[in-house]
Amino acid sequence: MSIYRNSFRRRIDDTFFIWREELKQVIKDEGVLIFFVIVPLIYPLLYSWIYNNETVHDVPVVVVDQSHTSLSRQFIRMCDASADVKVAYYAQDLDEAKSLVSRQLVKGIYLIPSDFESNVYRMQQGTISVYCDMSLMLTYKAIFQTAQLVSMQMGSELQTKLGGHYTSREEAIAARPLDYADVAIFNPQGGYGSFVLPGVLMLILQQTLVLGIGMSAGTARERNRYGQLIPISRPYQNVFRIVFGKSLCYFMIYALMGAWLVVVVPRMFHFPQLAAWQPLLTLMLPYTLACIFFGMVVSCIVRYRENVMLLMVFISVPLLFMTGVSWPQSNIPGFWQGASWVFPSTFGVRAYVRLNSMGASVGDVSTEILILWLHAFLYFWLACVVYGYQIYLARHDAFWRFVEMKKRRQK
Amino acid sequence: MKTLRLIYDVTLRELMILMRNRVYMFCMVVFPLLTMVFFTSLMDDGLPTSMPVGVVDLDNTSTSRSLVQRLDAFQMSKVVAHYPSVTEARRDIQENNIYAFLYIPKGTTENLMAGRQPKISFYYSYTTLASGALLMKDLKTISTLGSAAVGQATMRAKGYTDAQIQTFLQPIRIDLHQIANPWTSYNSYLSTMLVPGLIMLFIFLISAYSLGTELKFDTAKDWLAKADNRIVVATIGKFLPQTLIWLALVYCYEYYVFYVLHFPHLGSPWMLILLGLVQVLAAQGFGIFAFGLMPSLRMSMSVCSLWAVLSLSMVGSAFPVMGMDGALQALSWLFPLRHYYMLYQVSVFNGFPLLEAWFHFAALAAFILMPWLVIKKIKNAMLTYVYIP
Repeated sequence: MSIYRNSFRRRIDDTFFIWREELKQVIKDEGVLIFFVIVPLIYPLLYSWIYNNETVHDVPVVVVDQSHTSLSRQFIRMCDASADVKVAYYAQDLDEAKSLVSRQLVKGIYLIPSDFESNVYRMQQGTISVYCDMSLMLTYKAIFQTAQLVSMQMGSELQTKLGGHYTSREEAIAARPLDYADVAIFNPQGGYGSFVLPGVLMLILQQTLVLGIGMSAGTARERNRYGQLIPISRPYQNVFRIVFGKSLCYFMIYALMGAWLVVVVPRMFHFPQLAAWQPLLTLMLPYTLACIFFGMVVSCIVRYRENVMLLMVFISVPLLFMTGVSWPQSNIPGFWQGASWVFPSTFGVRAYVRLNSMGASVGDVSTEILILWLHAFLYFWLACVVYGYQIYLARHDAFWRFVEMKKRRQK
Repeated sequence: MKTLRLIYDVTLRELMILMRNRVYMFCMVVFPLLTMVFFTSLMDDGLPTSMPVGVVDLDNTSTSRSLVQRLDAFQMSKVVAHYPSVTEARRDIQENNIYAFLYIPKGTTENLMAGRQPKISFYYSYTTLASGALLMKDLKTISTLGSAAVGQATMRAKGYTDAQIQTFLQPIRIDLHQIANPWTSYNSYLSTMLVPGLIMLFIFLISAYSLGTELKFDTAKDWLAKADNRIVVATIGKFLPQTLIWLALVYCYEYYVFYVLHFPHLGSPWMLILLGLVQVLAAQGFGIFAFGLMPSLRMSMSVCSLWAVLSLSMVGSAFPVMGMDGALQALSWLFPLRHYYMLYQVSVFNGFPLLEAWFHFAALAAFILMPWLVIKKIKNAMLTYVYIP
């Protein structure tokens, strides 16, 4: 046996051989290509397109004006003039208005009772009833907040008339002794896309990687004569060479895809982009590695290539919720918090949102980055263990096949 | 009679497959139940409560402290930290320890007493839309209440009656009626879309999978032979047991959310039964159609999963379809989940007659019939295609 067998050179050669084989397989396999290239390229664009209007404007409402006074007309005019609400219909009574809601023509009703103006001028509160279709939260918010805003604006005008103060400054103070400002930070316009997309982008990275790796492993098994993940051939004798070689292939592809997802796409659609490339790199390196090794561990469970889809696609949505983007992290029950620690995406999404949308520094997300390195490390060893087991299985089977063959020969 | 006999034979065969392959048990029972439990338990509170907020109280008087106490008493917010400066509070938002903070500058009380209209500010992060919007509401209420309390005191001193004060402070009042969901419960609004959406995802995938595996495991000819080479009989026989399992699952879900968790619904139980039926059949129709379109296991499953994940956005429950671009509004018709959701929204949630949503019902019926378009192609594939890994 030559010195080459365990030499440094040999290790490098084997690793690169495995890397090359894996790359060939990825390129040849259209299923894997879909998940490695097409989905990460197209999906973000599609999502950005869906959410590119960010907020809803001109939500249609119907007005039931039983007051028919200048004050009620002013209210209607001001609501119609606002960006969020459009007065689409006028109805005689509530029943007629309801039928418009049921036909989905409007999302809410403004009802101005007949005693509205007289009440206001009689120094009693004038009431406007707002009925909202609650099946859509965003339209409900638009309808309700517009009515509230307009009523407050009209209110301060009325206060001026009713108050009997001398200067406008006095009036303002009497109406609102304590002033306040509300400042929405990090997503000032409250855009839906800016809020949900950063999380989705990071999640796409993990999910497509796991799906692609799982499929590629499934294909390897199906191509193999004995349904094994590891072929019996010289380079595939050492766990580390297999894990390194394969992960190198995935890493190369996802270095590009990752850059596309977290740098190019947000820029193209003008989502908040506060992080420079250095902090992003600090995050993406452990995140991509953790996802790769996580995917390799998952891929060993997969017997047939399609099963990985049955396993991974549906958990995308729960995963997104567990990151704390859709539902506040402080309100996730402890059990699900614990379950979410298993997945790199939980920490990847949190860290990315805070780095990129909230302008945090690397120090602010150091815990998440540390956990991602820990994930990468743990899943790397787990991948080694499961691949080691696969090698053992392959050898074990080969040995018994050999024994069988020998027996048959002797007969 | 013979047809029934054939269907029965194929059904029996299918039942054996369902029992033998563990994938079916997981995807038709275990995972769907898991998602059901996940979403309903995740949002058990309905609305997020006790979300951590901070306070930068530079004034530190009894007035400012009572403001903070009142904020703490609100259901949604919980004051967890005090900061010496805005910078530190913002940093803590970036570290994810708080979601919002209230800033009371120095001299607020003094200015308030002197009638100089001091200004307090609240900052909230909109990177999580739900918490941002809800905390904004709390903080706004606090500020308005604080303002009103001071105004009330001054006006009472001047001898106004309570009604007059009320009118002066708020001449026009908004009387809000939240139809069908007066609690603004996020659980009943998100779970009713996400869980059916994920059940449909499983139906898509399993429908394509169960057809594709016939090719993959080389049992396609056997399957058709059992049905005397009549593809319609073979398809009905194959999908009948699956349909029954899906229906059981869907009705179990409906019973759980509407009768155990008491999610709001104004429709009749018959409407729920009809809704479940069209949901299952339309999803199966789509899955079969996807396989017929490209009779390859991996391609049809890829298309099914991509379509299903996309439909969770195109359904327009979180971000309304009317807010999307025109082309997307038209495309939303191609997603069964969208029609399911509209049907649910109109006839179950709001309790309007089915007639008001008839076009969505018709669209679902079209999805149910879609396999007709490709049934010949499926037969051809089953008889002639060879599976290539």
